Amino acid sequence: MNLKKYLTLTRAGIIEALQFRLSFLILVAGNLLYLIVTYFLWKAIYASVETDTVNGMTFTDTLIYLVLATALYGFLEMYLVWEIGRNIQSGKIVLDLLKPMPYRRYLFWSYSGSFVTQFFFTFLPTFIVVSVVTHGAIPLGINLIWFAVSVVLAVVINFSIDYIIGTVCLYTESIWGINIIKQVVVLLLSGATIPLAFFPDNLRTVVHFLPFQSIYNAPLSLLLHANPDWQTVCSTLGLQLFWAAALTLISAAFWNRSLRQITVNGG
Amino acid sequence: MSAIIEIKHVTKEFKVLNRREGLKGSIRDLFSRDYKTVRAVDDISMSIEQGEIVGYLGPNGAGKSTTIKMMTGVLEPTSGEILVGGNVPYRNRTKNAQEIGVVFGQRTQLWWALPLIESFRILKDIYQISDADYDEMLKLYQSLVDIEPLLHKPVRQMSLGQRTLSDILAAFLHNPKIVFLDEPTIGLDVSMKAKIRTLIHALNQQKHTTVILTTHDMGDVDALCQRIVIIDKGKMLYDNDISHLKQFFGSYRTLKIRIKGDLKQYAEEITEKLPRCSVSADDEWISVLVDESQTTVMQVLSELQKDYKIRDMQLEEISTEEVIKKIYEEGVK
Repeated sequence: MNLKKYLTLTRAGIIEALQFRLSFLILVAGNLLYLIVTYFLWKAIYASVETDTVNGMTFTDTLIYLVLATALYGFLEMYLVWEIGRNIQSGKIVLDLLKPMPYRRYLFWSYSGSFVTQFFFTFLPTFIVVSVVTHGAIPLGINLIWFAVSVVLAVVINFSIDYIIGTVCLYTESIWGINIIKQVVVLLLSGATIPLAFFPDNLRTVVHFLPFQSIYNAPLSLLLHANPDWQTVCSTLGLQLFWAAALTLISAAFWNRSLRQITVNGG
Repeated sequence: MSAIIEIKHVTKEFKVLNRREGLKGSIRDLFSRDYKTVRAVDDISMSIEQGEIVGYLGPNGAGKSTTIKMMTGVLEPTSGEILVGGNVPYRNRTKNAQEIGVVFGQRTQLWWALPLIESFRILKDIYQISDADYDEMLKLYQSLVDIEPLLHKPVRQMSLGQRTLSDILAAFLHNPKIVFLDEPTIGLDVSMKAKIRTLIHALNQQKHTTVILTTHDMGDVDALCQRIVIIDKGKMLYDNDISHLKQFFGSYRTLKIRIKGDLKQYAEEITEKLPRCSVSADDEWISVLVDESQTTVMQVLSELQKDYKIRDMQLEEISTEEVIKKIYEEGVK
């Protein structure tokens, strides 16, 4: 019964997203363009070396990885920092704070609708196309279940990181620069733009201790290995679970502390 | 009856960075620790009963919104005590939110892209309104205003008046004990204002909802409020019923007329003819302040029309600013 309070926001998000048909088309076109650029870029990289595999990945491996990363990006990136920042600047945040549920939950569930639509409209089609075009290069088995669990955890981690950055906006009252830094850092260190296999050894070690690789690298590596051994599955999901819990706690605490300082615009 | 809102000696201070001028100043500001304290609300106390409509007045920047934000729990007072329905709002903001409704005239809490009915359904779920209560409320709305055409219209396609009306309905939907209306009639035309006043009045009567209303429009106050609180520069100037305040503004209206010729000279002539009214002139208008307890505007107008060819006229209600000015000048007992 209590869940209804939140699911209604999911429902609203789905209906809301469906209102804007044109933006879907543009989104798909934009992603396509990005993929074409990626294709030629990596083709050139592979052409410049003599061997078929670079860092243990063939051209097809790399491309599949990056295409799926782009598709994941479609629904992991929710522009939450923009939303929080804009709401702070316009003062609309006051109305959201006055909803009968904590702001963090209100935001999360308001966005959950777009997870659902983006999953069905960008990720799933891409997944199917890649599957068909590569003639089954993506294994279809138990790995799909691990992937699903991993994506849910990735959503939570990504949301918490965005929420922490959004909280910083309470202090700075500006969004642009902070958000750009966040995007670059997250996309690079999570393995969304370049597979982690291509990183120098030292950097890769560092990255494994950071939460970002749990967002893109973790779900994708679980997806692309047909029969990952138990140890890999447990350590990957375990690490994600740890970060999801830790960042949830940190972001909630940081927000609550910061909220006391707000001076919501206007008086 | 017991008080639903209890405010005792509440003060709210903001720390504001002292900004310097120019490019050099702006750069120095980046490293500045030079804050000054601004007291937005200064030692305010009041007690509001269930079912009252209280007009909360004051010029821009007087501290009205700050007080409301403290009552809703968005801001924490620097000192003093606030109890809303027995809760300390900033400590139990979420719980308090269940008991209150808010409309900020300039913003909307509705779902922009969705038809109004969807917003209502969402609010029904997040406030956990029972089906019976929800249906009853919609029926009541239907009897008060013609909401049918609004229900299926996306909020972004609504006119400002329709949107404000919808926002007010949304604020009352979960039958809160208190509704805060922050300048609900701002920017609306006369007929929409009248419609919204009627609606607020009816909801207050039917549901016994306490309404805290801030406005700059004395028309709103006249139509709705039994009691008025005036603040200026964070300090409370006045807290009493409206009839008491009437002696300051209620019976006064300003008649402005335009006549061809030297206005200053005409103004002097008119002063002699109408000893009870105070007359002044600027470049465009001759203003006659009419005390309607003594004579009516129509009488004055017909009197003037005998002697002058009036080319244009305006009738102005006395504004909150003028009321406050009068209170400052004459004091309130």
